[in-house]
Amino acid sequence: MGLFYESVLCYHVRSESGGIMRIEKHPILEFKQREKIYFTFDGKEVFGYAGDTIASALDALGVKVVSRSPIHDRARGFYCAIGNCGSCHMVVNGVPNVKTCITRLEPGMNVNTQKGKGQIR
Amino acid sequence: MKAEIVIIGAGITGVSIAYNLAIQGVKDIVVVDKSFMTSGATGRCGAGVRQQWGTKGNCIMAKKSIEFFESATDTLEYDDDIEFKQEGYLILATTPEEDELFFENVRLQNSLGIPSRVCNKKEALKVVPYLRPESFTSATYCPTDGHLNPFKMTDAYFQKAKQLGVEFLFFETVESIEINNGKITSVTTEKRTIKTNKVVNAAGGYAHEVGLMVGIDIPVYSENHEILVTEPVDKMQGPMVMSFSKNIYCQQVPHGSFLIGRSNPEAKHDHDISSSWQFLDEMAKTVCDIMPKIGELRVIRQWGGSYNISPDRQPIISDVKSLPGFYIACGFSGHGFMFAPMSGVLITEIVLNKPTSLDASDYRLDRFEDKIVTEYEKSVV
Repeated sequence: MGLFYESVLCYHVRSESGGIMRIEKHPILEFKQREKIYFTFDGKEVFGYAGDTIASALDALGVKVVSRSPIHDRARGFYCAIGNCGSCHMVVNGVPNVKTCITRLEPGMNVNTQKGKGQIR
Repeated sequence: MKAEIVIIGAGITGVSIAYNLAIQGVKDIVVVDKSFMTSGATGRCGAGVRQQWGTKGNCIMAKKSIEFFESATDTLEYDDDIEFKQEGYLILATTPEEDELFFENVRLQNSLGIPSRVCNKKEALKVVPYLRPESFTSATYCPTDGHLNPFKMTDAYFQKAKQLGVEFLFFETVESIEINNGKITSVTTEKRTIKTNKVVNAAGGYAHEVGLMVGIDIPVYSENHEILVTEPVDKMQGPMVMSFSKNIYCQQVPHGSFLIGRSNPEAKHDHDISSSWQFLDEMAKTVCDIMPKIGELRVIRQWGGSYNISPDRQPIISDVKSLPGFYIACGFSGHGFMFAPMSGVLITEIVLNKPTSLDASDYRLDRFEDKIVTEYEKSVV
């Protein structure tokens, strides 16, 4: 994880508005305030909002690298967003290869960046 | 076009035969395939290689073939990796009959120098810890069995064969084989006529049809066997896990995916290679019964391929009394890949009238006519 992510994450944690990535004001649409959902990402306590998937919450937190390619260790981002590509696989509550883009965020979830192809326990 | 010998089929068997003929100095070898290399059963197979068989013929073929695989990269001077993973086969017994049969099998295998052994439950669980203990009674394990990449292995033979001057014609269907006065004179494809006196039928799933071209009714048929591949995970399984009574084989390939297959007892005798939801349903039930942990993995893809099945489920590697110059390597009954090194050697020795490097009488075509078949291979999925 690079400095970029670290800094954005810190910025978000300081911000009461819910982060830099969310649309709050819109000329036509109305975005109602939603309930905060706290979870852990790579050991840090963070939050998203009710209705988020894990990946959408992380995206709003500025997490742009969601996994790394297994052979060349290249950064992989949030890609297909419909559960097809496998780019957003993470370890959630100890389970590897969870498609975070289609998994609804729940309070207290323990989300970790996955190293390698995942270990089944 | 002229050829000393035409091989029909560019699967592992055909390409192995081509290589073996070429290193024996045969010139003008032509391999014809109606599609691309490995397009038939070779590219669709589970690609496990094992020596744990129930008949002597199959045991010896397998043992000698594995000896070849062990040094294939060097022998064929292949600059890529054939991905040979030699971490054994664990075959589960689930009934008292199987316990007994496997005990006999291991005795036969050991007598032929194959290092297999009977394992009790505890020993089997040491090899694959996440087996559900209630799902089996005992097991046999042979550490020198394994798995390799069928595309790379065929390519290794292909590259060397090409270097030795073998000519390959892809996407060219053989339409007929001409005979004059009891001798083969030519092979006609959709594009050309190749003058030749010798033809090898290594057509895999279509071996019966190629036999009919010269009026020989080879007693083999094809049937669809389905297989699936899961998402990759970190390495967790060394050996292939297999059970005949539960109808499953399951291997983790070096990439991390699991290849899992079974046979369908109701499969029709035809060239169907389609995929069915019933396969997924049955396969998932069996996997969850034996290895619930593997049942958690997602399926990425499934496909089917043809087993070419002989009456005793041992291969036919033979010349033909009634038609000199016609040679057959088919009927491998789902195990052509693992026997291919020896299939190539044997056909070459038969073609060149040399003494065979192992007793090939078990594989003769006329064993069915003479009704001398005494053995039947039960160890097949």
